Amino acid sequence: MSYFLTQVLNGLSYGLVLSLIAAGFAIVFTSTGVLNFAHGSIVLLGAYLVAVLHPTIGFWPAMLVALFGAALVGVLINALLVRNLADPTPGAAAILMLGVDIVLLTELTRRIGNQVLPVGAPWGASVVRFGEIALPTGRVVAAGVTVVAFAALWYLFSRTDLGVGMRAAAADGPTASLMGIRLSRTAATGWALAGVLAAVAGVFLTSFPSPGVAPTIALSAFAAIPAWVLGGFDSVPGAVVGGLLIGLTSALVTGYEGDLEHVLGAGFGEVAPYVVMIVVLLVRPSGLMGSKEAVRV
Amino acid sequence: MTEPLLSVEHLDVSYDGAVQALRDVSLEVAAGSVVAVLGSNGAGKTSLLRAVSRALGSYGGAVTGGTIRYQGVDLAGVDTSTVVRRGLVQVPEGRRVFRDLTVEENLRAGGFTVRDAKARDEARDRVFDLFPVLAERRTQLGGLLSGGQQQMLAMGRALMTSPQLLLLDEPSLGLAPLLVDQIGEIVTTINAQGTAVLLIEQNAVMGLRVADRAYVLEVGHVTASGSADELAASDDVRQRYLGAAAPERPAAVVVTEPGIPTAEAPKRLAVEGLTVRFGGIAALSEVSFAVEPGTVHALIGPNGAGKSTCINVLGGAYRATEGRVTYGGDELTALPSHRTAGLGVARTFQNISLALEDTVEDNLLVGRHRLMRSGVLASALRTPGARREERAHRATVRDIADLLGLGPLLQVPVHGLSYGNRKRVEMGRALAARPSLLLLDEPVAGMTHGESQEMAETIRQVRRDLGLSVLLVEHDMPFVMGLAEQVTVLDFGKKIAEGTPAEVQRDPEVLRAYLGASAA
Repeated sequence: MSYFLTQVLNGLSYGLVLSLIAAGFAIVFTSTGVLNFAHGSIVLLGAYLVAVLHPTIGFWPAMLVALFGAALVGVLINALLVRNLADPTPGAAAILMLGVDIVLLTELTRRIGNQVLPVGAPWGASVVRFGEIALPTGRVVAAGVTVVAFAALWYLFSRTDLGVGMRAAAADGPTASLMGIRLSRTAATGWALAGVLAAVAGVFLTSFPSPGVAPTIALSAFAAIPAWVLGGFDSVPGAVVGGLLIGLTSALVTGYEGDLEHVLGAGFGEVAPYVVMIVVLLVRPSGLMGSKEAVRV
Repeated sequence: MTEPLLSVEHLDVSYDGAVQALRDVSLEVAAGSVVAVLGSNGAGKTSLLRAVSRALGSYGGAVTGGTIRYQGVDLAGVDTSTVVRRGLVQVPEGRRVFRDLTVEENLRAGGFTVRDAKARDEARDRVFDLFPVLAERRTQLGGLLSGGQQQMLAMGRALMTSPQLLLLDEPSLGLAPLLVDQIGEIVTTINAQGTAVLLIEQNAVMGLRVADRAYVLEVGHVTASGSADELAASDDVRQRYLGAAAPERPAAVVVTEPGIPTAEAPKRLAVEGLTVRFGGIAALSEVSFAVEPGTVHALIGPNGAGKSTCINVLGGAYRATEGRVTYGGDELTALPSHRTAGLGVARTFQNISLALEDTVEDNLLVGRHRLMRSGVLASALRTPGARREERAHRATVRDIADLLGLGPLLQVPVHGLSYGNRKRVEMGRALAARPSLLLLDEPVAGMTHGESQEMAETIRQVRRDLGLSVLLVEHDMPFVMGLAEQVTVLDFGKKIAEGTPAEVQRDPEVLRAYLGASAA
């Protein structure tokens, strides 16, 4: 029983980290209509900045620099590349982002090389015990930070002018601009938010129980894609639900791999998120909480 | 003389550097006045508003000549956000409320540029005073409001900035007469509170009633201007936009032999006890009527009466909750929509749904799809049989285009056509399938009186030459009166009257529900 509970809690806390990444995908998509395939590299960039800076300036200042750095890179990608596309279609933007991803990832891989850089998180490899259940402290902190981050996002989008303006711009850009809302600013805000979320997620993905920053982190960030898609492309609450569902699924499938091996074969944990995504999309094509394409005939 | 609030001088606007939308347009709006710009669809009215609110860029348009001055300042190089901050706000055509935002959040987005919290609260209170229904529904989503309420929300959203000049693009479009009256009164009230209004309308009756001055715009050019009273008295304007001089046509039953026979003779369409529910809301409840073979039958009613729902069930897009629809011996309610087409039932759509980049000919050929026999392979190899068949289809399409007056436009891409011609292409595509029953969803929505008279003539001709039955859904009452033999009236999803146009016109229930306060 305690093994099961440990797996569930592990899955939920990992799921929350995934949902930070998935929310970044969703925010960029709603504010600029771009499928940001470079998001995984931005996650890696955030973690990398913390890893190289913390020995000299300490963990928290390094974290702050990483947040700004990831946000800035997002804003620059949007301002310099996406907005200057000659043919600004979603397809062209998606291909552009694949290109940006390759460039960023190659450069980061060159800098990291074969090392695994520790991020130097103050919670180290410590473990929190609740009775028989043991959880890495990093995971508990991650869960707390994520909950705070989503509460802040909720406040931003429902209680502030900027957030309501961003939602209006996402719903109908030309009309929002007739209300005096500057679309270039709402777009920049969206990219910056996504960058911040990515950097936070990057640090949690690379601290214990993960060994540290390695280029493969960009790939594990892609595990957030099924979470984003099954939550609905354009929904932040959907990203949270999707992240939890995917986190739980992969933790349970991996945790009980020994029992499942005869039926599903080894390594099914990596495939399970996609199976869940496909099953959900078969039943609900616009995801769990995505807005349906409403067409009046 | 004091400087006008807005002055537009010799304005030229073009799209993509090629299509000229406005030529040498000049107009003035004095502070505190209401100015109407009348004209049919495609006249360039919306382009004029976009030029003034500096929003042309996002639609691929640009000012290529002339000047726009607001409060004495040239607007060249000024962006939308800046003109909004200076008190010039546009309410876009089609209302465009933010559907997933609540009423209150919509208003908040409208007041985005107002930094002073107190000024904003006052503006919101004024909006709620003006539109009490918005205060009642403040926590509802914008998308759940009715058409009239959405128009109010769109206007309220713009008023959140307490503008000096309000630009209204077709506020009466798609609204029933009762609501149009109400919107007109609201424009007058807003103006009385000190806001100048520049109003774009194709409903000239409404436009001339609320305006002090008016301009008539035709194909990008101002063709008449003057005080609203002068224009309302002008013969030309009366005939084209007000319908005053047009004779009432009796609905004559055509007995001549059809020129191009339909593939099959029309059959009787019977609707029995049709009920359609969305969630808990009944859009139609127990509606029954029949369309006799070879007649024109009209389905009318105010907005939200269930007309479009009904035609969507007949065309197979929606499923009936209860009841059945039969065409001859076949039950339509049991078939998917592609099978419905196979029975000889074809439809047009309220919001035009054509492939914009393709030519008129290609759009019409789509309608021939169900009659095409050559397979993919034969077509790709261009076998003699496939080529022969293609020639035959193109010939039929040409005949239909000639019948609708689209002959010279066959090779023109649809996006280059006027609204009226797009409506004709829609009808042509439906006719290309050689139906014996044609379903027309609001064929004259958004047209001026003159254009809808032409459309009525086209429908008469189609019925005569092709010998088919027509079921048309409309809320333009006079249009239906001159055209249909039988009329069924819906209100709130129920049938409230049925009979000849003359009978229905006298029915007190219909007058009350439909024609508005002035007629009852």
